[in-house]
Amino acid sequence: MEKKKIRFTINGKRCEMEIKPWQTLLELIREDLKLTGTKEGCGEGECGSCTVIMGGRTVNSCLVPAMEADKQEILTIEGLSKGDKLHPIQEAFVEHSGMQCGFCTSGMIMSAKALLDENTDPSREEIREGISGNLCRCTGYAKIFESISAAAHAMKGEK
Amino acid sequence: MVVFYRRMPKMDYMRPESIEEVLDLLAEEETGRYKIYAGGTDVIPKIKKRVMSPPQILIDLKGIKGLDYVDYDKKEGLRIGALASVRSVAESWIVKEKYPILSQASDSIASIQVRNRATIAGNICNAVPSADSAPALLTLDAELKCVSKRGERTIVINDFFKAPGATGLEPHEILKEIYFPALNENTKGIYIKLSPRSRMDLAVVGVAVLGTVENGLIKSVRIGLGAVAPVPIRALNAEALLAGSKIDDQIINDAAKTAALESKPIDDHRASAEYRRMMVEVLVRRGLKNIITNQFL
Amino acid sequence: MAEYSTIGKRVPRIDGRIKVTGDAKYAADYEMPGMLWCKIARSPHPHAKILDIDTSRAEKLPGVKGVLIGKDFGGWKWGWMPKTRDESPLAVDKVRYLGEAVAAVAAVDEDTTEEAAGLISVEYEILPGVFDSKEAMKDGAPQVHEHVKNNLSWDFHMDFGDVEKGFREADLVHEDRFETGRAITGYLEPPAAVALWDSSGITIWPAKQSPYFIYRHLAACFNLPLNKVRVIQPFIGGGFGGTKNDSLAGDFCSVMFSKMTGRPVKFIYSMEEVLRTCRRRHNMIVYNKMGMKRDGIITAMQSRVIADGGAYTAIGPLTMYLTGCISTLPYKLPNFKHDIYRIFTNNPISAAMRGHGVTHTRFAAEIQMEIMAEELGIDPVEVRLRNAITAPHETINKVTVHSCGLVDGIKTLSEHPVWKGKDKNRKNVDQISHGVGLSSSAYLGGARQRGHQSCGAVVRLCEDGTIDYLTGATDCGQGSDTVLVQIVAEELGIRIEDVDIKRVDTAYTPCDAGSYGSRVTVLAGEAARKAALDVRRQLADVASGIWNVGPEDIVFRAGNIYVKDSPDIKMPFKKLAQIACYSGAGAVIIGRGYSGYGIEELDFDKGVGNAGTSYSFTSQLTEVDVDMETGFVKCGRMVIAHDCGRPLNPVNVEAQSQGAAIQGMGQSIYERFVMDKGNTLNSNLADYKIPLSTDVPDIEFIDIIAEDPNGPYGAKEASEGAIVSSPPSIVSAIHDATGVWFKKLPVTPEKIAMALKGKNKNESL
Repeated sequence: MEKKKIRFTINGKRCEMEIKPWQTLLELIREDLKLTGTKEGCGEGECGSCTVIMGGRTVNSCLVPAMEADKQEILTIEGLSKGDKLHPIQEAFVEHSGMQCGFCTSGMIMSAKALLDENTDPSREEIREGISGNLCRCTGYAKIFESISAAAHAMKGEK
Repeated sequence: MVVFYRRMPKMDYMRPESIEEVLDLLAEEETGRYKIYAGGTDVIPKIKKRVMSPPQILIDLKGIKGLDYVDYDKKEGLRIGALASVRSVAESWIVKEKYPILSQASDSIASIQVRNRATIAGNICNAVPSADSAPALLTLDAELKCVSKRGERTIVINDFFKAPGATGLEPHEILKEIYFPALNENTKGIYIKLSPRSRMDLAVVGVAVLGTVENGLIKSVRIGLGAVAPVPIRALNAEALLAGSKIDDQIINDAAKTAALESKPIDDHRASAEYRRMMVEVLVRRGLKNIITNQFL
Repeated sequence: MAEYSTIGKRVPRIDGRIKVTGDAKYAADYEMPGMLWCKIARSPHPHAKILDIDTSRAEKLPGVKGVLIGKDFGGWKWGWMPKTRDESPLAVDKVRYLGEAVAAVAAVDEDTTEEAAGLISVEYEILPGVFDSKEAMKDGAPQVHEHVKNNLSWDFHMDFGDVEKGFREADLVHEDRFETGRAITGYLEPPAAVALWDSSGITIWPAKQSPYFIYRHLAACFNLPLNKVRVIQPFIGGGFGGTKNDSLAGDFCSVMFSKMTGRPVKFIYSMEEVLRTCRRRHNMIVYNKMGMKRDGIITAMQSRVIADGGAYTAIGPLTMYLTGCISTLPYKLPNFKHDIYRIFTNNPISAAMRGHGVTHTRFAAEIQMEIMAEELGIDPVEVRLRNAITAPHETINKVTVHSCGLVDGIKTLSEHPVWKGKDKNRKNVDQISHGVGLSSSAYLGGARQRGHQSCGAVVRLCEDGTIDYLTGATDCGQGSDTVLVQIVAEELGIRIEDVDIKRVDTAYTPCDAGSYGSRVTVLAGEAARKAALDVRRQLADVASGIWNVGPEDIVFRAGNIYVKDSPDIKMPFKKLAQIACYSGAGAVIIGRGYSGYGIEELDFDKGVGNAGTSYSFTSQLTEVDVDMETGFVKCGRMVIAHDCGRPLNPVNVEAQSQGAAIQGMGQSIYERFVMDKGNTLNSNLADYKIPLSTDVPDIEFIDIIAEDPNGPYGAKEASEGAIVSSPPSIVSAIHDATGVWFKKLPVTPEKIAMALKGKNKNESL
């Protein structure tokens, strides 16, 4: 089967690629673009490890046909930091040790970003809800809540 | 051999830009050549796990413009385009205000990432008995506008679900719009989903209760049940018992018991039939109490 | 108490940054030019003879570079002990569990491997299977392994004191049946590896919690000396015991394919593959008998356990040992008898999971103790305080405890508002009933049961004063890298940022037993400390020569070196490093350290002696709200009082314990595999229910300090205690709310609802 051409923006950079029409967005990101920060956990949309932001919304990239990336803007974990400067959410996770094995972290931070983009002052309950599509086996979520809370404060302080 | 698949099977992909194009493709007689999808959150995993045989061409409906609307009219009611995401329905201020039961049901589906992609249309076309939007749609007397090359028609929600995974849609037909009649001002409703975890899970039992209470009488009530029969159903006997009745604990308990008897749950790895039946009674009772007193437990 | 510069401080994890940017590379993130993919094809039957395998169609598919079947491994088998080598890389003449690996394909891309794997045909003779451990023990049951009578995989027996006498002396004796459920570790990163065979031997980047298991397995399987097997650790996406402390079909096949083709080979398992075919935690039926005097003092305990071992032995013998070896903690126990039988069944293989072995028997003993105390009218806090050990203590099976914060922990919790307010909060609003449960547990750290249990460390001084630190201990997410770096920085008086811990690489880092049994901080930490002290000594010698003072008068602190009592005689550490390295013809400054123990008696067969270097003590309160109609349990709050000796990194200790407590909660009320004749019915993450962010309680963590002489800076294990303390605490809380004692895990809403309706009075709950 022929490859097909798509054009999209990834982490602010314009891209043109030829892809297999049946591959998923996750494969495109990890294997064609070599952005391995986004992880494959379950491949079925049940763990959130593959969460990226497409068209301004978080999606499980394992369930999105890569062809849909055409004409879209995609943001992955690699797109959050600017050079050496980390995004406030990333800073907060580092400072509050909001990760252990780190496998869920990319997806978790993307969900946190989507949450904080829409709600600059989330309650603890809203934080819990905001990441309820992202499984973590290591942390029991406690320090993830702390990190997101701290990030919210930091991001408000900057405005 | 048992093989665990990580990759999608070889398929081509098309993204038609109009309904007519889609209908033309579907009208071609070759079965299994095409599979349409919108959010893909049910279709993609099924294809990936080889539960569904792969089509030759996956048809992405999202190229069709103008089908993602959520439109309300005070007299006419609510219209949801087939491509409106579950999240847009759940968070629409007009749905929250005028059809809160639909907002609740939509919000209970899976996870945020899934709700950003999935559609209510897809949720009911997938037609699993536990589909979270179904009980609410049943109580709201939803009407499904379908279209094919032969023309348009309307299927009422009560006739839509035929069997697990099977609906009244013809092979060359697609669901275009879901219509909800306008509700009486005093109508209250609630969708209660029973599932082990607070999010992500399929409903073990899903109960929707929608009713109008005036002057201490139950003017009308609709009860939708999910995950307790081969298809989502209405508890018609329970509804009949309640219609026009004075509100008291006795009638509520009787109606709940009746609803439980109307359900036909099975034993599966999620729960036993007996437990499900017990829970229908509990949840219908709570749902009725809620719409009467607006106090949820 | 000494004032430390990094020890005991809330240091953020040193691998935080690399993980939040997505830069950390895990096994599946590696790729190499010319790489092939490997896919495993598996059995559709739980028990069958393999009659014939036809791989011809697969071999003909374009892009396929190789196909393997069981015979290609020459009859090699592996196991945890020499006498338990019963597992083959690919099944040879029989399959013993559903999904057992039977063949493998290598091809130019993964799509092709998947297609090819589907083209392999196997002729099976289906055999009757056995799926229940009690059924499997009976005469005439299908035999999972030839020559293994009654499917007895392993047994372990302990007999200390005189339990019959102890029961006679008791005023109350109870016998209860408990059962722990079918659970799995639940790491989010599926096993994966990239393997390369070339003139230097084997190089592999696998997702392993401990590289040294696969290191030995590959050397044996491929008949190579150990120094030709190189395992390089990527970042690891969670371990928790079991699968990632062992090898699997993908590992052996990818290496073999690389050997056959000369190309690198990669495999990645799917999550469904993990849930259906990889190692799980044992499920155990525990028959517990306890004798108690009227005042609550325990006189004797006897446990008889049947464990479902699944189809192969794996690490089973160790699991069995652990179910009994510290049952004599945390309470005084004068008489103890323990008999455990691990039974083969045609279910997926059971192996270790965090809390290994202890979770099952401690659950039974805690709950039974509470049942009996309730009958005798003794308060849960009281009964524990009366029986709790204090340090120093030696148990009847010669477990020696040198530090113990158990009583402190229990007392602290008894004063906690959650405990004190439990009756006040019991308002039973509508249908919600409130309950609080208390539990205590002990867990071993610095595990040292069998085989190679040492740690070594190498500290290399660079001439600019920075440090390369080499250890074989893996950080699989638990944060050990950070703690080890803290220790090195502490001893040398330098910043954490100046110590670089190298990724574990068996070609360069010292051999290490692995990350399990809560051994890393305790044992690798000891090695790190000694290695750092070695470098310090060498540097102190140089400084003492310069300043003409004894080396014992040189202080290393805050990046500087100075003379004790004359702090104005000083220089930066960097400067001393430079001087030392360039003195004379130049010097290479390397420090070495090993963990060590006195030679102590450990009888693995009889359960005598110390299985670990030290023991943590964890007590826990859990608050639940139970919906009395639906049976749904919401854990509102947990309070954990954890004695890990001294927390070297309090953030890590909290974080680990929080995670462990939630895993324990998962096992208690959410997680279970539903099996049907060897088939896992709920093999996906929507139906195997790992707790979500909206399910977890608030967790309050209290450090109980009880420094141990055998740990670096007094440290002991952290967090495995919390996975052991959670289930009894939760089940006790559920009893407090509902009046029902549940003895079978998980306690699902359905079980609770049915019990409250009186529907299963005769069934074991």
